[in-house]
Amino acid sequence: MAIPGRRIDTLQSVELAEGMEIHLRAAGPFLRLIAYLLDLVFEVLILLVIGVVIGVLGSVLGANVAMGVSYLLYFFVWWFYHVFFELSRWGATPGKKIFGLRVVGEAGGSVTLGQSMIRNFLRGMEIIIPFVPLVAFFHPRFQRLGDLAAGSLVVYSKPRVEYSVAGPPAMESVPVTCALTREEEAAILSFRYRSGGWSEARRVELTNHLQPLTGEMGPKGVNKLLGMASWLEGQR
Amino acid sequence: MNRQEFESKNTTKWQAFDHRVQAAERRQDVAGGEELPSTFRKVCYDLSLAQYRMFGHRICDHLNALAIRGYRVIHRKRGVFGARALQFCLSTFPRAVRTEWKLACVVSLVFWLPLFVMWWLTGEDLIWAQAILGSDGMSSLEGMYGKGANTVEHLRSEHGSNFMMFAHYIQNNVGIDFRLFAGGIFFGIGTLFFLIYNGIYFGAVVGYVTAAGDPEKLWRFVAGHSSFELLGMLVVGMAGLKMGFALLAPGQLSRSQALSKAGRDGLPLLIGGALMTALAAVVEGFWSAQAIPAEVKYTVGISFWVLHLVYFVFAGRRSYGA
Repeated sequence: MAIPGRRIDTLQSVELAEGMEIHLRAAGPFLRLIAYLLDLVFEVLILLVIGVVIGVLGSVLGANVAMGVSYLLYFFVWWFYHVFFELSRWGATPGKKIFGLRVVGEAGGSVTLGQSMIRNFLRGMEIIIPFVPLVAFFHPRFQRLGDLAAGSLVVYSKPRVEYSVAGPPAMESVPVTCALTREEEAAILSFRYRSGGWSEARRVELTNHLQPLTGEMGPKGVNKLLGMASWLEGQR
Repeated sequence: MNRQEFESKNTTKWQAFDHRVQAAERRQDVAGGEELPSTFRKVCYDLSLAQYRMFGHRICDHLNALAIRGYRVIHRKRGVFGARALQFCLSTFPRAVRTEWKLACVVSLVFWLPLFVMWWLTGEDLIWAQAILGSDGMSSLEGMYGKGANTVEHLRSEHGSNFMMFAHYIQNNVGIDFRLFAGGIFFGIGTLFFLIYNGIYFGAVVGYVTAAGDPEKLWRFVAGHSSFELLGMLVVGMAGLKMGFALLAPGQLSRSQALSKAGRDGLPLLIGGALMTALAAVVEGFWSAQAIPAEVKYTVGISFWVLHLVYFVFAGRRSYGA
């Protein structure tokens, strides 16, 4: 929902050429760290498998060729594991995929080869000084230095699932007599869409804060607020 | 139009769009694919409307996800790889190097000056070689390029050893390139360090072999691949320093914007330089250690240097159309 002003969530609005605004949900550094460690495990596993295969091949091809092949494979796994998977259809390494993350460009599109190379090659340098990757904690889009240089960010790939149940339909719509800001309207409508999952006591507790608007306390206030929500909906 | 009407009127359209996008994501043939862009614009319009009228998280999030996926599919870049690679080699890369001629001067100075100074110093007094190469380094050089050493050609007579060395050079040298680039993130200090270090080291090697070994063995080996390897390293160094300078002096931009721009602009330098180093590994693995008369090797080596200069000065000056 397009609400102006300071936000407390991690949604990033991006305006596209089509003239509309989309929201990307930037993923935080903690989950990404876990995903990265998982990827390290995968990389070691891949190298182990390669080692075994080369060991077997070595007796057929000769020791030198086997050594050469293992150097090349080691090089590609070490430098291009992340790049390969980020360019794949997943848009994420297996570790990130497991956590439902995806690496995208700043406009939400897939990353290019160059972007992926920059963000992954810089990581190796960043972790030399332990506090440098923590810069990501202080960035609104959770970009570390490599992401900044590449113009990329890590987002959740699926829309969030919100288990919300709409409140009961109002008996009658109640006109709102004073001017509300968009944010306030959004809050009232949101109450209507979500209040079905709450207990009566919780609804009353929340509605009591709006006593200046509804002029009522307790269950009556809840009904009146739902009526206002229904009126606001009817206005659109 | 209220929320329910809006939803019931458009659900079919959204579902159809969803199916088409899904098919396109799986790289399948899309029935009615030519309508994808226009439906995408309609979905974008619906999203804006739903956001403006605050139709609730459920609809907004759903449309948001649809729009993102549609955007990804429609703006997917699928050029012909061969054509793009050719264009990169013929114009993008040499042009990028020419545009950054100032950086080219900086990296050249930072690399060649220590090299020649150290070469001269080592020739004056071998204690410099000892200080820089250490006794291990000196004895291994003695084994490769010493007066009584077996030639490199001799070491490579075993089956598959050329390929093994080629793979080793790829892994080692291209890896060094990538680190050289990444070192630029520390305000360029990492890149500068690697360049100066390599300059000093190579200078000491050349100086030591000239003074105490058999320089012909060294020159015969390095002549062929030297241009690819050294110029490739310098070009990658330019990309690293570009990031470093962007952080030090971002100009009108914020530091993070400047870094992003430097990363993007330096990309052809990184990729091109790494490709040159990979070519160097091919030459180093399969040509440099072959038993070929020294005159031929010197001629080839010098031609490669000249070709490189011609390439960087003249390639891609004319545009070859879109």
